[in-house]
Amino acid sequence: MSHVLERAMSRRLVLTGTAAGVASLLVPITVLSTYAQSPKEESTYDITDWIAIASTGDVTLGLSQPEVGQGSYTVLPQILADELDADWQRVTVRFVTGKDAYKIAFKNEAPAQKEGASMSTTAFYELLRIAGAAAREALTRAAAEKWGITVAQCRTEKGFVINARGGRLSYGELAPAAARLPLSDRPRLKQPGQLALIGKPMPRLDSRAKSTGSALFGIDVTVPGMLNAAIRMAPSFTGAVVEIRNEAEILKRPGVRAVVRIAAVAVANEEAGSQHPALTRPPRDNAVCVVADHFWQAKRAVDALDIVFDSGTHGGLSSAEIDALLQAALDNDTGVPALEIGTPQQILRDKAASIIERRFVLPHIAHAPLEPVNATASYRDGAVEVWGSIQSVDACREAVATAVGCAVDAVSVNVTFLGGSFGRKIVPDYVVQAVQASKAVGRPVKLIRTREEDTQHDVFRPNAGARLRAVLDDAGYPLAVHARVAGQSLFGATRKSWLDRTPEGTWDESMVDGIYNQSYRVPNFLVETVDTPLPIPVYFMRSVGSTAAVFFWESFISELASQAGIDQYVYRRNLLAADPLALRVLDAVAQASNWTTPAAPDLFRGIAYNCYIGRGSRFKTYVAEVAELARVDNKLRVKRVFCAVDPGLAVNPNTLAAQIEGGIGFAMTTALHSRITFSNGGADQSNFFDYPLLGIDEMPEVVPIVLPSDRPPQGFGEVVLAPLAPAIAQAVLQATGRRLDVMPFPDAAFRG
Amino acid sequence: MGVFSINVNGASRSVEVEGDTPLLWVLRDNLGLTGAKFGCGIALCGACTVFMDGKPLRACSLPISALGKSEVTTIEGVSGPEALAVQDAWVARDVPQCGYCQSGQVMSAIALLKEIRKPTDHDIDLAMNGNLCRCATYVRIRAAIHDAARALER
Repeated sequence: MSHVLERAMSRRLVLTGTAAGVASLLVPITVLSTYAQSPKEESTYDITDWIAIASTGDVTLGLSQPEVGQGSYTVLPQILADELDADWQRVTVRFVTGKDAYKIAFKNEAPAQKEGASMSTTAFYELLRIAGAAAREALTRAAAEKWGITVAQCRTEKGFVINARGGRLSYGELAPAAARLPLSDRPRLKQPGQLALIGKPMPRLDSRAKSTGSALFGIDVTVPGMLNAAIRMAPSFTGAVVEIRNEAEILKRPGVRAVVRIAAVAVANEEAGSQHPALTRPPRDNAVCVVADHFWQAKRAVDALDIVFDSGTHGGLSSAEIDALLQAALDNDTGVPALEIGTPQQILRDKAASIIERRFVLPHIAHAPLEPVNATASYRDGAVEVWGSIQSVDACREAVATAVGCAVDAVSVNVTFLGGSFGRKIVPDYVVQAVQASKAVGRPVKLIRTREEDTQHDVFRPNAGARLRAVLDDAGYPLAVHARVAGQSLFGATRKSWLDRTPEGTWDESMVDGIYNQSYRVPNFLVETVDTPLPIPVYFMRSVGSTAAVFFWESFISELASQAGIDQYVYRRNLLAADPLALRVLDAVAQASNWTTPAAPDLFRGIAYNCYIGRGSRFKTYVAEVAELARVDNKLRVKRVFCAVDPGLAVNPNTLAAQIEGGIGFAMTTALHSRITFSNGGADQSNFFDYPLLGIDEMPEVVPIVLPSDRPPQGFGEVVLAPLAPAIAQAVLQATGRRLDVMPFPDAAFRG
Repeated sequence: MGVFSINVNGASRSVEVEGDTPLLWVLRDNLGLTGAKFGCGIALCGACTVFMDGKPLRACSLPISALGKSEVTTIEGVSGPEALAVQDAWVARDVPQCGYCQSGQVMSAIALLKEIRKPTDHDIDLAMNGNLCRCATYVRIRAAIHDAARALER
């Protein structure tokens, strides 16, 4: 069936001859077996795990990292094509899966095929260069053998091997012979001056399809014999279905095929046993889905269901309770130390009268990708095939296999374009629900969550609060700091093996990312965390803990500078004196924004800095931002944001700039709008009227400043988010004297 | 269930659905036109934007029974100088990131340029404010609309 799908989709969706003259695009749909094993033109030859060349000269480049908007669909093939010396106009990209080469690990974990942690370019840069270069060498060797000359007498250019006499053989002609040659593990990579695509602002390969409505997202998938499903989940996270009072009536509705009770899925299932026990026990049905001919029939039927839910062990959970837990944790006698330098406690005790203290609280928030989670599944005779917007292929296969009791190898996953994810679609709870529905009705089913279900049953970004205390030295700089961060631990709730262990207990680096590993000179420093476990499903969200932790930390630095009466830029500069890469971005943003020139009367500025350290210390990306607020008609508005970054090598400055612009906008939504509150054991918000996203009228102008660097590509998709909120808060402090200690920032702070 | 004869992208189509079925789901499920997207279901996000008699409409909130003789144009069928200018500008600027909202953005931008030949930033804010983009591609949306307006002048 999958082959039928692929052919049908290919006919409909292959785009050729795009106006920009870019490569023809095959929408990334494939079967689990990679293109290497799936039926294909007989005259296509696999040169490496990533590269297949047709005798026509057309090159198919494998993409193993889902395209969630970040640009991997263009950037990763760009790396391969450069080393291969492929003709970029003849490149086709196809999503691939099923080989060990496609697996990566972020931290201490088994390698898996997944996208996340801003890791794609960092993790694959070297690997893809080697793959491309090895293929180029094999093609060159094949040509040299044909000509009876040495490889040194050959060079490559845009899909051809060329010899000194001007003889030319196309990659297509050479592919059969090259495919039989062994690949070098250590091919000679191009010198920087030889790179033709890497470092160039190449146009995205998916822009035309995404501007004409032809790009295929999970929600667009159709497979033969498919039915459509809508779902209603128990409002309480620990809830269960007790009774459906009108099932017989619902079954009589037009188009309705089945009413299916769905077993609770252990969300964030990457590491069993990490979830709050109330979410996983006891095994229970916590949702009902209606399967119908068309989605609207299913949705209307779900709306009409009269379901009795039991709210379970934590049906009384409320924001008041969560906030009380958080505040108590901030005031606890002890936390778990993540870092201790010098004698901070002693100094704070000795100078208790001069302590500067700030407290902050941030809520849970929802990912809210514009494409609500959905999946298409076909369960048949113990084998499962799924299609959809799936960010983590291997986690999805494992979750499905566990849920239906089949082997992981019996689950095949087809990945489409993802209509946003931001971490949400790593968690395959929605895929498992679709599989359960398909299994129940014996036919393929597409299950779409409505916006309301998507919002209320997100895997939320956890809440966080902080209490920061400091005393300053005679010059006004931090002498001793005690930073405590409390909240629902993300690692504790999803992957306990990532927790750091100390004699006092475990701590979660994501809660203090950008604090325990921060760059400022703080001679006496204690950083602590306190976990307040909650029966709320949570998961990683773009920029993870840094959105909270850097807001706490940079806002506190702003407070200290303000109390010391020292300019915010100068203060940070002096605290970063030993860190030249940090100073470079800070100076660059200050220069671009004319920081040292006094601002116009109705303009207020804030500056913030962060070094985003990748998971497992895999990368370091330096970021500094200046937010400019303008007062218009007695209202402050974020008018312009300067963002200086040192991302290492920018493989594609075009997509990198897009990540800066979009990242700032995403962080604006978090700073100004996002809050999930809880009552009766579940989330209160449901759609964009009570969980709004930033609109174009609120979007500031963005000035990206990308610094050149000799370092290899560092992570980027998440890094610009964190410094924005503290920069805005500092500008508000400048303008109004008001201290912002909660997110989203109250509207009132921007008035007057 | 009822049989509705509707005009989509210049062709007459007959569909058998409940009268309360939103146009969006008729397009997507019955006619296989998946360019218009489902985002919120209550006309707040704009991902489902199509034209009804040339004017932008949130297809998620119009029951098929209310469509009558109106002509529907989806992104699959949109044409004309404004459409060409907007889509070319979108590609040239590489506006999309995840791309999910972009069908709706493109349709709203085309409608804007049909109405106002040379929109100001304020015009863009007013016309595009109902089209949400979670990737926040707004900087390039704005720039692409100005580009398209310039292209139409030529």
